[in-house]
Amino acid sequence: MRNVKKAIAATAAIATLVGLAACGNGSGDGNANKGDADKAELVFWGWDSGNSMKDIIAKFEKANPGITVKFNNTGTAEKTSTALSNAIAAGNGAPDVVMLEDPTVTQFAVTDGLVDLSEFGADKLADDFAAGPWNKLQYNSKPYALPIDSGPEMFFYNKAVFDKAGVDGESIKTWDDYYEAAKKIRATGSYITNLAGTSNDYQPFTAQIWQAGAQPWKVDGEKITINMTKDEGMQRYIKFVQKLIDEDLVDTKTPNWSDDWNRELNDGTIASLTIGAWMPINLMTGAPDQAGNWRVAQLPQWEEGQEVSAEDGGSALAVVKLSKNQAAAYKFIEYMTHGDGAQVMADTGTFPSLKKILTSDSFTDPTTEANKKTNDYFGGQNVNEVLSEAAQRPTEKFQYLPYNPFAQSSYGDEVSKAYTGEITLEQALENYGKKLAEQGEQQGYTVTVK
Amino acid sequence: MSQTVGVSPEMAGLHTPEARINKHKADWRGWKFMWPFAVVFIFVFIIPICYAIYISFFKKQMIGGTKFVGLENYSRLLSDTQFWSSVGRVAIFTIFQVPVMLFLAAAMALALDSMKLHGTKFFRISTFLPYAVPAVVSTLIWGFVYGAKYGLVGSFNSFFGTHIDVLSPDVLLAAIANINTWEFTGYNMLIFYSSLSTIPHSLYEAASIDGASEWQIVKSIKLPELKGSLAITVIFSIIGSFQLFNEPSILQNMVPGNAITTYYTPNMYAYNLSFSGNQSNYAAALAIVMAIITMAIAYIVQLKSMKEQMK
Repeated sequence: MRNVKKAIAATAAIATLVGLAACGNGSGDGNANKGDADKAELVFWGWDSGNSMKDIIAKFEKANPGITVKFNNTGTAEKTSTALSNAIAAGNGAPDVVMLEDPTVTQFAVTDGLVDLSEFGADKLADDFAAGPWNKLQYNSKPYALPIDSGPEMFFYNKAVFDKAGVDGESIKTWDDYYEAAKKIRATGSYITNLAGTSNDYQPFTAQIWQAGAQPWKVDGEKITINMTKDEGMQRYIKFVQKLIDEDLVDTKTPNWSDDWNRELNDGTIASLTIGAWMPINLMTGAPDQAGNWRVAQLPQWEEGQEVSAEDGGSALAVVKLSKNQAAAYKFIEYMTHGDGAQVMADTGTFPSLKKILTSDSFTDPTTEANKKTNDYFGGQNVNEVLSEAAQRPTEKFQYLPYNPFAQSSYGDEVSKAYTGEITLEQALENYGKKLAEQGEQQGYTVTVK
Repeated sequence: MSQTVGVSPEMAGLHTPEARINKHKADWRGWKFMWPFAVVFIFVFIIPICYAIYISFFKKQMIGGTKFVGLENYSRLLSDTQFWSSVGRVAIFTIFQVPVMLFLAAAMALALDSMKLHGTKFFRISTFLPYAVPAVVSTLIWGFVYGAKYGLVGSFNSFFGTHIDVLSPDVLLAAIANINTWEFTGYNMLIFYSSLSTIPHSLYEAASIDGASEWQIVKSIKLPELKGSLAITVIFSIIGSFQLFNEPSILQNMVPGNAITTYYTPNMYAYNLSFSGNQSNYAAALAIVMAIITMAIAYIVQLKSMKEQMK
């Protein structure tokens, strides 16, 4: 009996030691761990919306016989970034390659979790990608991730509802035209769109102020300047949206991605959306009754004749600093985003960010099966042609806050009050700015609020 | 725990004089039986709590990394209006929801116990059934019922031409309380019912021989019996409603106007602080303060009910 006890104690002690030793090994610093570019076992975290990862990885492994890639499906963008920040904090267990939502890339770049890809010459690829997604992935003018897809903001509208109101969707070129159309559509009982100010509306919000040329957040190393209301672009946006709210021209009760939202898109209560170019597939599944009625057009402009675009969503691949196989990892992400992998992803429904694919004939070819299905839903319109044009439009530089997840969740807390009419949008955004400043200070930044 | 350890030396002491001398020495025999439980208890209970207390003294920043800050998180919490608004909200919730729910549960238990209903078994199982439905599912069900546009309330509105919106910010808390009541009345009913069924039948016979009416039986026999289980159900319900999380976080996306904020309840606030605010240390401090508040309230309730039982 006593021996048994000793044996147990010894085993337990050894197990603990081994465990500790493992921790010790893992936490060694991964800096400058380029490793062998041709021989590695890579771990890759990400989600797989196109169900195409297995294919692409198999092709990559065939082309690079020394490298194997183990794909861990982490489910959603939010879970991936949470898991990554935990692994980085723990110092071990992090993957070599990680898929991130564009706005969170800066966050990991600031905290030194990702490799500066210009070490591997990624900065030379700038001109090959559409400007929108590329611009979002820079920190201190260095690329920290390569874009997988992009989401230029588009104007989707329901032609049947527009016709009933006597509005020609094609003729809406500016936000003033949009406002006039909103009044006519409201007269028929429908709303031109929904704006509720919840955290689900945060992405379209950033896209809209981006297009308006606003720079509410300026991040310069450890200094952040927040200017939610006095910035010229913000003023323009605030005035416009406040008018829509005051005159009851937008549905302020329905948040994006809610059950009600899908129903209202499906029964024509919501007549248009300004949202990312990845929306067609969501409309086709969410609003099946409106098949043939929806159309897509370029985003209305603030000034007549302009061609300014903005990005809504999008994801990217980055190399984790703790990786010991950084060179091989870069090879893989280059293949996925810039090499042959990019074409496979585009073929399986990812909206591409690579100019080469955006301008290729096959992308806009209306006879391919995937394009045909989408075009049928859009009443025979060549959808990809419109989207491709938007993706190649110039975008201003726009910077997200390094604590973007917080900015998104607290957006709803503060800004929704403007949509219920409790306070004005300007007041709401001012409160929101204060919240963001508080969080910045909690995170150790020096924050100036204008 | 202490019983197993304490009893054996005394029993041994009856036999030999040496054992009596050894009485004050630690006797580890009991631990042979205890260790499987103790190991699990330490790993899943003691260590996580100690770890939470430990990390609550630190602060992790994106710029500057992790540093020891002593009680800063706690002092910040004391002046955090968002935190206190969430505590106030669950307190109001508790004050109104718990009495209503327990009254309904007691009434149902008495009705089932009266033996005057048909289909007792059916009612017993059907009132308990909501408790078996996962909170996520039942919240979704109620969310669809509540919808003022496409839900059952919406259908009611279009049929009668009314404009009822049970999800408007003024009545939202009551709407959530209704979901919770629906979920947990059956569970509490079962606790009451089981304590009623321990009453010996001879008492009822004696009462009927004395010519007591049904109401007198309820008042003098059944209600006093319910008092004991009332303390348990009150404490469980208070703990439960202070931990309110599932229902509001599911409803968040279904309620117009973002009436459910990220700091609607203390638990939601802690969750959002640590997962979207990168402030897990502050969230740990919040969790500990909430645990203390809940324990204090539960303790006061217990003291009070014990005093009443002494009377």
